[in-house]
Amino acid sequence: MEAILDFWAAYSATIAFGLVNSFIALSCYAVLSAGVLSFTTVMFAAVGGFVAAQMIGMFALPPLVAFLFAGVAGGVAAAVIAVIFLRLETHWMALASLALVLITRVVVLNTPTLTGGVQGMLVPVRVSVLELFLALAVTAFVFYRMHNSWYGLVSRAVREDPSVASTMGISTYRVQFIAFLISGAVGGIGGAALATTLQFISADTYFLALAFTMIASTVLGGSFHWFGPIVGAFVFTALPTTMQAVLPEIQDVAKGVVLLVIMILLPRGLVDPRVLKLRLSRSPKTAEQPDA
Amino acid sequence: MHDTPTLLQLRAVAKHFGGVAAVGGLSTTVRKGTVHGLIGPNGAGKTTVINLITGLFHPTDGEILFDGHNLEAKPPHEIAALGISRTYQNVRLFSGMSALEQVLTGCFLKRGSSLFASFAGLPAARRNWEEARAKSLLLLARVGMAGKADVLAETLSYGEQRRIEIARALGSDPKLLLLDEPTAGMNHAESQAIGQLVHELRDSGLTILMVEHNMGLVTEFCDSCTVMNFGKLLAEGTPRSCIDDPEVQAAYFGRKNDAKRIQPVG
Repeated sequence: MEAILDFWAAYSATIAFGLVNSFIALSCYAVLSAGVLSFTTVMFAAVGGFVAAQMIGMFALPPLVAFLFAGVAGGVAAAVIAVIFLRLETHWMALASLALVLITRVVVLNTPTLTGGVQGMLVPVRVSVLELFLALAVTAFVFYRMHNSWYGLVSRAVREDPSVASTMGISTYRVQFIAFLISGAVGGIGGAALATTLQFISADTYFLALAFTMIASTVLGGSFHWFGPIVGAFVFTALPTTMQAVLPEIQDVAKGVVLLVIMILLPRGLVDPRVLKLRLSRSPKTAEQPDA
Repeated sequence: MHDTPTLLQLRAVAKHFGGVAAVGGLSTTVRKGTVHGLIGPNGAGKTTVINLITGLFHPTDGEILFDGHNLEAKPPHEIAALGISRTYQNVRLFSGMSALEQVLTGCFLKRGSSLFASFAGLPAARRNWEEARAKSLLLLARVGMAGKADVLAETLSYGEQRRIEIARALGSDPKLLLLDEPTAGMNHAESQAIGQLVHELRDSGLTILMVEHNMGLVTEFCDSCTVMNFGKLLAEGTPRSCIDDPEVQAAYFGRKNDAKRIQPVG
């Protein structure tokens, strides 16, 4: 029992941040799985974070209720961004989304009444690990349902070959617009989760480090299944702590090396549904027939 | 045969890429319930015509009429919804999907329930999903790929991938099926099987426009054909009359004088 308590005392913060980063990574996955590489998640997280912080500050809302508002706010922001961004070619969209990260920071710094400006904002409520877990479970269930529905199937088609998908009656614009909405809602919740975990947010909370966390977690965990980003977020979050415990002298280098090794050995990420399908392909039922 | 109604009509369709006219004022008609061949030497603009019909390109000039609709400036997904489906010259299946998933994606237009209903798992949507699955399995069986439903498509042979692509194109219950060189890279027996399948599909009421290089196959399986060269119409009519056309023979085999010129000396 004591061992468990010790473990909890030492690692509850890591677990909390793993849960928070899972939302951020899922937000990135939501658009990536429809063929859009975009850093707009950072902006959606900022919108969600500051909306949640303001709601909690003004109405003393419980964190999970604030998450709902943050999700809606992120979704609204995403709708606006999607209308503008979906006019751009994919690589320009990625660049524009990086620009949006910089714009977000400038806006946050220059609207002190909404965001606290350079001073940042204190968040008077702290979300519990259990609440974070519940919110992530609900979000994961939404992703599970999407993956196994028409939306999941056609978004994979759009990602693999948008022009072929379009000749099958699939509107790539519509699919990617929906992807942005989901990314916005989940990103907003992630921003609120971050705000209520850190209990202090400023322009630097929603900046390049978050963009890096988002993309690294998703690539590391695998962007071909919704479970990948969650696994990736936990591995990426736990890595610094683990390296600090194992190789304290060279922890930063070790962290980089581990990331590189995983990405070289498993370029499609830790969770890859293709592996499972290949195994199914080679099952005795079908493998016995010689190739025509 | 000429009293059957027209399904697809191209009127002076042109497509320029910069200064190059890939298609330069092509007019032709495809009649309902026929297998129509689109033939011509390499670079004649056949695939460009297919891309124009499916909306991947938009014509620089002229118009394309399909089943009473003008396809002008319509995006590909709207054209597909009107009942046009296609396969690709170099097979373009979705990577990472099983054979069944490929065909299921092709059934998207006939899914019967909204994306949201499907996400929410409403009873009607579940039923529609199961129906689409059953239909996909039937289509796989129809192209001779029963039992390969769970196989990752990219691990199959080229000929098998072509069959899956045809099954995928049939998923939307199209009125017009465009096959871009369906027998490329296939041996004689496989080509014959594709020809048989095309006939079966026609007999079930489908209209087929197919780009084909294999003249034997064209004479055997097409009811009528259009011959193109350098983006223009060269000949039109029954396969036999097209092949006997001196212009067509010149385009394919060169002129008599050309043959003399390239004959080895001595």
